[in-house]
Amino acid sequence: MAPPAQSQRTQSPSQPSGKGEVSDLKTQLRQLAGSRAPGVDDSKRELFKKVISYMTIGIDVSSVFGEMVMCSVTPDIVLKKMCYLYVGNYAKVNPDLALLTINFLQRDCKDQDPMIRGLALRSLCSLRVANLVEYLVGPLGLGLKDSNSYVRTVAVIGVLKLYHISASTCIDEEFPLTLKHLMLNDPDAQVVANCLTALQEIWSAEASNSEDASREREALISKPVIYYFLNRMRVFSEWAQCIVLELVGKYVPSDNNEIFDIMNLLEDRLQHANGAVVLATIKVFLHLTLSMNDVHQQVYERIKAPLLTLVSSGSPEQSYAVLSHLHLLVMRAPFIFASDYKHFYCQYNEPSYVKKLKLEMLTAVANESNTYEIVTELCEYAANVDIPIARESIRAVGKIALQQYDVNAIVDRLLQFLEMEKDYVTAEALVLVKDLLRKYPQWSHDCIAVVGSISSNNVQEPKAKAALIWMLGEYSQEMHDAPYILESLIENWDDEHSAEVRLHLVTAVMKCFFKRAPETQKALGAALSAGLADFHQDVHDRALFYYRLLQYNASVAESVVNPPKQAVSVFADTQSSEIKDRIFDEFNSLSVVYQKPSYMFTDKEHRGPFEFSDELGNLSIGAEAAENVAPALMVEANDKDLLLSTSEKEEIKGPAYNGSAYSAPLYDASSPSVSSLSMQSELAISNPISAGNASPSIFAIDDLLGLVPATAPAPLPPQVKLNSKAALDPGTFQQKWRQLSLALSQDFTISPQGVAALTTPQTLLRHMQGHSIHCIASGGQSPNFKFFFFGQKAEESSNYLVECIINTSSAKAQIKIKADDQTTSQAFSDLFQSALSKFGSS
Amino acid sequence: MLQCIFLLSDSGEVMLEKQLTGHRVDRSICDWFWDHVLSQGDSFKLMPVIASPTHYLFQIVREGITFLACTQVEMAPLMGIEFLCRVADVLTEYLGGLNEDLIKDNFVIVYELLDEMIDNGFPLTTEPNILREMIAPPNIVSKMLSVVTGNTNNMSDTLPGATASCVPWRTTDVKYANNEVYVDLVEEMDATINRDGVLVKCEIYGEVQVNALLSGLPDLTLSFANPSILDDVRFHPCVRFRPWEANQILSFVPPDGQFKLMSYRVKKLKSTPIYVKPQLTSSAGTCRISVMVGIRNDPGKTIDSITLQFQLPPCILSADLSSNHGTVDILTNKMCTWSIGRIPKDKAPALTGTMVLEAGLDCLKVFPTFQLGFRIMGIALSGLQIDKLDLKVVPNRLYKGFRALTRAGEYQVRS
Repeated sequence: MAPPAQSQRTQSPSQPSGKGEVSDLKTQLRQLAGSRAPGVDDSKRELFKKVISYMTIGIDVSSVFGEMVMCSVTPDIVLKKMCYLYVGNYAKVNPDLALLTINFLQRDCKDQDPMIRGLALRSLCSLRVANLVEYLVGPLGLGLKDSNSYVRTVAVIGVLKLYHISASTCIDEEFPLTLKHLMLNDPDAQVVANCLTALQEIWSAEASNSEDASREREALISKPVIYYFLNRMRVFSEWAQCIVLELVGKYVPSDNNEIFDIMNLLEDRLQHANGAVVLATIKVFLHLTLSMNDVHQQVYERIKAPLLTLVSSGSPEQSYAVLSHLHLLVMRAPFIFASDYKHFYCQYNEPSYVKKLKLEMLTAVANESNTYEIVTELCEYAANVDIPIARESIRAVGKIALQQYDVNAIVDRLLQFLEMEKDYVTAEALVLVKDLLRKYPQWSHDCIAVVGSISSNNVQEPKAKAALIWMLGEYSQEMHDAPYILESLIENWDDEHSAEVRLHLVTAVMKCFFKRAPETQKALGAALSAGLADFHQDVHDRALFYYRLLQYNASVAESVVNPPKQAVSVFADTQSSEIKDRIFDEFNSLSVVYQKPSYMFTDKEHRGPFEFSDELGNLSIGAEAAENVAPALMVEANDKDLLLSTSEKEEIKGPAYNGSAYSAPLYDASSPSVSSLSMQSELAISNPISAGNASPSIFAIDDLLGLVPATAPAPLPPQVKLNSKAALDPGTFQQKWRQLSLALSQDFTISPQGVAALTTPQTLLRHMQGHSIHCIASGGQSPNFKFFFFGQKAEESSNYLVECIINTSSAKAQIKIKADDQTTSQAFSDLFQSALSKFGSS
Repeated sequence: MLQCIFLLSDSGEVMLEKQLTGHRVDRSICDWFWDHVLSQGDSFKLMPVIASPTHYLFQIVREGITFLACTQVEMAPLMGIEFLCRVADVLTEYLGGLNEDLIKDNFVIVYELLDEMIDNGFPLTTEPNILREMIAPPNIVSKMLSVVTGNTNNMSDTLPGATASCVPWRTTDVKYANNEVYVDLVEEMDATINRDGVLVKCEIYGEVQVNALLSGLPDLTLSFANPSILDDVRFHPCVRFRPWEANQILSFVPPDGQFKLMSYRVKKLKSTPIYVKPQLTSSAGTCRISVMVGIRNDPGKTIDSITLQFQLPPCILSADLSSNHGTVDILTNKMCTWSIGRIPKDKAPALTGTMVLEAGLDCLKVFPTFQLGFRIMGIALSGLQIDKLDLKVVPNRLYKGFRALTRAGEYQVRS
């Protein structure tokens, strides 16, 4: 066999050499097409291989389509397979030529060999050409009734493919009902499993426009169906088991006995060789027992061993995925894993992303009994060749110290780091010693002795330098050359590029001044004048602030700069527990690997039309934008807090409050949104800006004032009357939703009555319909609901599209409006909100 | 669900592309991926799951070949990764190895296999037994046959019987003239010894590999003399759960041929068979190194293929190392390998030498980690012992074979 041509990555289809060869192939194929000479199949096979190898390396061989089809009349199955492959690849771009293939594919669908029947049917469905749908229906119908299970498995997936080409044909032919019948009655496990995947997808997509479909989708997670699957669990292939387990995870058992029955039935799955099955089972266990505290605890104990085995047995790639999940569980219940800390020891040759996860877990599981061993282990990593990991491990030591276990031993270790004379180790250690001192001032004596011996010239990293300067200021009494070190640092003011360091320098000199005035006076003068001349706003402002303060009253200045300090008891956590919970809800998904809930990393822009509909079915997505900003800002604020002493916190409060106000959930959850609407109109008077060009900064200002973050409506909002009989088909909706730009995005609260009434999405749909706002898709379970609504102007066919996310537990709603006519979107939004606010009260 | 699978060569060239759903994934994603690989230095540092601007990518690397799968929807990550691993395993088995040439020579088979393994993005079957019946492997026998008979069809005519049987991992009518079954205990010892010479962690990961060449539908039971030492176990789908639960007996109908019956973990082992004592002392820009290796606890069988590997720290300019037994090699990337082989009876192997440090460095601050490799035939270091293997219906000619092997897994000695 001829090896495929060596290709260059840059080779383009238009490359002359490729073209010549392709036309060569074309003539050769044509010669063979009609021939019945013996051995012709072999030469055909060689040619087909060539064609496919060209296709594989990216040369466009669509021009031989006709010849390929002509040659495909052959009993040779390998030739057939190659031809199917070729046709499947090019049919979509050559819909007219694809018609040529229909004939031979349809004939193959009636072949006596089930293998050929199956293959032909699969290829037929994979053509994905919309105008050939009519030819699909017949063979599919026969395929579903075929006596051979292989053909049936192919046909079931074929139905799903048909659905994606033409949903209406698929529904009209009542294929879903046939699938449902097959799912519950077919003797072959793979057919059953394929039916399940196909039906899940079809009904989730269909649920938005037909109540029947959403009822059918609900029926999938009803008790009889779930039990039917559970009882046949062992006969399914491992992949089908994953899908079934995913379904079982959605089922809500009626009582505890049922929960135990299910868990007993599934327990052996935890020992399955396939990691995907094990993880899916673990997810079911965790979710079933969420409400039962003790049992939930036991589940952790039970799944610990399988998870740890999975980590150590698989390939590095598998280990990583499992480790990410383990990480999540460790963070949720560190104490359960406390005795297994040795599993989180890093191996020398592991990739750094694995080491990083392990370090975090080691930090989390540290407690009284194991701290000593863990810290000893971490200290060994500090001498690691991998510098980022060395840093990370020093940080981990610090975090453990701040968790208050056996600080004694840890402080010694940290001080040893300072003596290691490696700049990055010193830098990290300095930052830690500073944090430690803020929490345990009693250690200042030991630490300062060591810190004092560090030459500031050896510290270059801004964070470390800032930490050192902070200590110099704070403990200038104990470190006798503190003023002189500070002075020399101020002399090099202009070489200091980090504003953070300069800020700290100004403050440290101030602190030092109040403790050792005569020695520092000169340095203070230099620092203040340098600070006043600084081009960085914050440095300048702080210097000016100190200057004025000193001018006003030195003793007040002292009480501001050097107040009696309280030890920090708890450092703020950087990742909010809400986010952690949400990731937990999405156990066994990509969210866990990214350590972000899916709404944070899935970008709707990048989803195709069908992912869009998929999303409607799977409403794990929560509120975004505002919440998205909040954690980031909080993290930043926290970081700053870590560095600054309490006295300095005031200064930072501005931005920090800014951040929290920006994301502040609306304060009064109980006040019905009617009142918020009236506030809006008040605001409108003072802020007459037309809704059309409401800029983000205006939102921000409103937010700062703590007002309802609604855009101010125009003084005379254009009236919108909606057509009560509006109609829009889902396809158009999706298309419009993608095309139109976002006109409005708002958050507001929902009245408690509304929350109470919103038990299922359907209740709200009926209510909104009364206000001429129609729903195109809805989904979700308490507390998160998601809806897509639309409205149509009464006199013209101008549409408003709304995405509405409601969280009933926080009584918040978030809407995004897109409109054909953007000028009236605010008016529509008001209409929408007032309609929503009446929900539950009528 | 996966939308597309690509196979990339070690130079980033697309060797194979298999679109799985109607949403065509453009090949440009591979360029993005490859740029990403290059930007990370080497693919080893690359996460198995990557978010590209348009898709989520799963990647695994086997023998220089990157298996890349794309998806745009949320899915269980392990399903993607695990599936790719199976694809790699199946291909390795079919092609008798895995490299660029093999894949390019047999790309039609690879397409055929993928076609049966996954449809519309959902994995169907990855069971090698079933696949082998649908698509004949391109082995020498079938090549010979095709030459002799002139029938070049590498497809079996019938559909796999197993798809309809209740034992999906086994084909229905297997016939052997001699019935044989081999059970291998293969263990890997993972150990970490810290700077002070203390055994920090020592664990054994073991597998029970079975090669069953038996006629009909054999029903086997395998029991251990001391199953209580096992900390956690994972089974091939063929193992029945209840007998294990009740009596720690493995009862199963095996697939035909070689397979992994079970894997297990034994933790908290107290001792290791070999000691490694590294010593590094540095003064005035040079560092003296001496490493001693010897037997700590004699396992009773010979330990062979002993190797010691370590990466010289980047701050070392040159190294002059010699040993009194075995050979020492230093590669250009400063990876140093000392092949010891067996430990002689009369002397303890030692590696000594001096290393010159970078200018300006007085003493070594980053210390190497030594990785030990060894192999012991005939013993499972965890102490696990097979008690007996029974067949429910004993065929007239039956041969049962047992073997054990322990080798070093992640066995690290820090200095």
